[in-house]
Amino acid sequence: MNYPKFVLKDKAELDALLADKDNLFVVSCNKCFKEIETTEEPEAAEFIQLATEQGKKITGSVQVDFLCNSVLTEKKLADVIPEGTEYIVTIACGLGIQTVAAQKDIPIIAATNSLNYIGHHGMALTNKTCGACAQCYLNLTGGICPIVDCTKSLLNGQCGGAKNGKCEIDPKKDCAWENIYQRLEKQGRQQEFIDQPVQLRDYSKINHKVITEYVKAVRENRLEGFYGGVHPCERKEFTEHVALQRFPEPEEVVIPTSMHVGAPATPIVAVGDYVKVGQKIAEASAFISANVHSSVSGTVTAVEPRLHSNGKEVVSIVIKSDGKNELHESVQPAGKSLDELTKEEIVEIVKEKGITGMGGAGFPTYVKLMPGKPIDYVLINGSECEPLLTADHRALLEFTDEILFGLKAIMKAVDAPKGIIVIENNKPDAIEAMKAKIEGIENIEVCEAATQYPQGAEKMIIKRAVNRQVPSGKLPADVGCVVSNISTAIAISDAIQKGMPLVERIVTITGERMLRKANYIVKIGTNVQDLIDYCGGTTGEDVTIKMGGPMMGAVLTNTEVPVIKGTNGVIAVPTDHTQEVACIKCGRCVDVCPMELAPLNFAKYVDEGNAQALLDANIMDCFQCRCCEYICSSKIPLVTKIGVGKTMVMEMKKKC
Amino acid sequence: MLMTTLKSREAIASLVDGKAFIINCHGCKEVGFPEAEANELEKELCDAGKVTGIMTTDYICNPENLKLRLKAYIPQIEEADTILILSCGVGVQTVAEIFEDKKVCAACDTIELPGYQGVTALEVDCDQCGECFLNITGGICPITACSKSLVNGPCGGTKEGKCEVDSNMECGWERIYRRLEAQGRLDVLKKCPTKLHDFSTVKATGACKQSE
Repeated sequence: MNYPKFVLKDKAELDALLADKDNLFVVSCNKCFKEIETTEEPEAAEFIQLATEQGKKITGSVQVDFLCNSVLTEKKLADVIPEGTEYIVTIACGLGIQTVAAQKDIPIIAATNSLNYIGHHGMALTNKTCGACAQCYLNLTGGICPIVDCTKSLLNGQCGGAKNGKCEIDPKKDCAWENIYQRLEKQGRQQEFIDQPVQLRDYSKINHKVITEYVKAVRENRLEGFYGGVHPCERKEFTEHVALQRFPEPEEVVIPTSMHVGAPATPIVAVGDYVKVGQKIAEASAFISANVHSSVSGTVTAVEPRLHSNGKEVVSIVIKSDGKNELHESVQPAGKSLDELTKEEIVEIVKEKGITGMGGAGFPTYVKLMPGKPIDYVLINGSECEPLLTADHRALLEFTDEILFGLKAIMKAVDAPKGIIVIENNKPDAIEAMKAKIEGIENIEVCEAATQYPQGAEKMIIKRAVNRQVPSGKLPADVGCVVSNISTAIAISDAIQKGMPLVERIVTITGERMLRKANYIVKIGTNVQDLIDYCGGTTGEDVTIKMGGPMMGAVLTNTEVPVIKGTNGVIAVPTDHTQEVACIKCGRCVDVCPMELAPLNFAKYVDEGNAQALLDANIMDCFQCRCCEYICSSKIPLVTKIGVGKTMVMEMKKKC
Repeated sequence: MLMTTLKSREAIASLVDGKAFIINCHGCKEVGFPEAEANELEKELCDAGKVTGIMTTDYICNPENLKLRLKAYIPQIEEADTILILSCGVGVQTVAEIFEDKKVCAACDTIELPGYQGVTALEVDCDQCGECFLNITGGICPITACSKSLVNGPCGGTKEGKCEVDSNMECGWERIYRRLEAQGRLDVLKKCPTKLHDFSTVKATGACKQSE
């Protein structure tokens, strides 16, 4: 399948081209639709040798993947062309050459001719191709294309010139109309064909205006907000209009001491102790750690390692509920208004009440509230871009006041002049509700963002809402932003206004394979299997249970695990049985990666065991959003490979 | 690079006599797939009791991938009189080849877009003519940017920079002139001998591809 896309012009032509030119910079494309093993194409070296033999000065050269990707090419060519370069020699197909020509003021030299080939869309080469005539005739012809397969593109039957079933123009080719006849005969559909009126091909159907407008729109859409991203089927209709309900009191809760990024908390209760709702049961053990509180009143029955949703055993505190839900004495409102509270007091409350990021990653929130840098914007992340999940959507509708209070508290804590609540436009009711609530508040606004996955990622939401790019390896605070999840804002509000620590959260129970779908307020430590049972269990065969959404959620092979602070959903979806085939270098993963990486190379380097190459290709910037794996035409398990790759890089760093 | 549009309701209604099994291909969804319209159509057909099953997958142009995915739907496909495909022409032909005995219908028309790889359509196009002219034209392709594919300058029919064939289109040769003018390279055009578009290179490269 390594067919050429372009070839170097012949020597005589190149010699003539170069005769009066010097100081050349060579840009070459690594080609697409090919086996990925060979990265370097020979044409650039051949050209450089030829030019050098002529005594030309080569000021430099660069090899680029997917040169026609104008956004990434612009960045790659930004600083590489040295002063004194008079011409850019481009070794690519016509798309790549024109992309470079449109971007640079330096004249370009095309050193190659592009070749045409068959079946240039979809998966690599196929014998079948589509003429893209805009008026599909396949319904009349039993699925054999008369435009492409008939040499004369006849629409109303054979020309009469076929001999022994072969075309009169190309005797190696079958007569398409004979094939059409035979297939229709086999299906007993000849009469249907005979009854058809005479077909005319309408060339005006492919209209320049329609195409250019479409291209313009699709480019604007795709590059609006942030680079890349995908639009998976949302399937949010299952639960988006299902009001929140309180999940029945669990008989027993298993509360892990590690539900956050950083060091596990240290248990401060022992077996036999009686604990109350909101009582601290484990204490933060480091700067990056978080307190843990009881979500029920009852007796501690065990402090021991229990299975966690991450698949590992984690020290957990098991409490048998007495069903009374007695509040602990420490659960007291702050007693001061937000205006009266100092920054330090807010940070202390957030720290004491064990609040962590509730969008999934679970970073201790109080650390975020001490950025040590000037902050311009606090963003509340209401994009909920994961398909299926509706926990944040319901919270936006039913806890609007609390979210606003939480936002104001964060703004006060980090001294931010402006707050923005970002909501994707697939939640118009939430946008309306929030807009009504902020009317008259000058320094808070609602940002309506066009739906695009993974908009909920910190770096993406910052790019979309305030158009700032978080550089590789940096944090939101480095560009003056703090981002907080919807549920986290509610938790902050509860901690200040009620004195209630983070002991419960909203969980969406949904998916095609879940019998009943709903949004529940669930106590931390509730058993996931109990949630599923309460919803009637799963239906059908081939069920995969995930904690979180279908894109970034973790597969649960054992559902006897507790709901933790970051559990925004439990979903039952059909199992994916796809099988991996070889990479064809179609470039789609590069086109959708929101971090502007090249995931195809990660898979290659992981297979080769090349940790240094992974590091150089910025694998650590990847936050495993799964866009690349979602779009991959070869079904390569890219996210799994990237996970392996990150471990390889970390091990290499340790050794150094 | 292809985009698909839904055929008219009447056209689709006339295709589905009896019951249909529907296959949606989302492989190129990020390029152009009429998802909302397709969902609406399928809901209507389902409500009318005309659907035995719906499979939504991607890259049905990859026969191996497609066969694997079809396994779970064999009874529903057997029950159907028609297989209705929402995909580009490549996808329809792939399914038609697998189910030679079944009526396989296309619910979409396919339109070609500039750019042939990646996901986002491009504003530039390459006709793969086999004899690149970009050197004499400042990097703007006369084959695709001029509606007449002229290689020696404008036809003279331009009005206010717009093409006489399609007034929505800019005159490719005027664009070429402006770019070369901006680069101070107009002599490239003046000194250039008359070019002939050698159509045999198109055929030759096409044939070379076929043989591989």
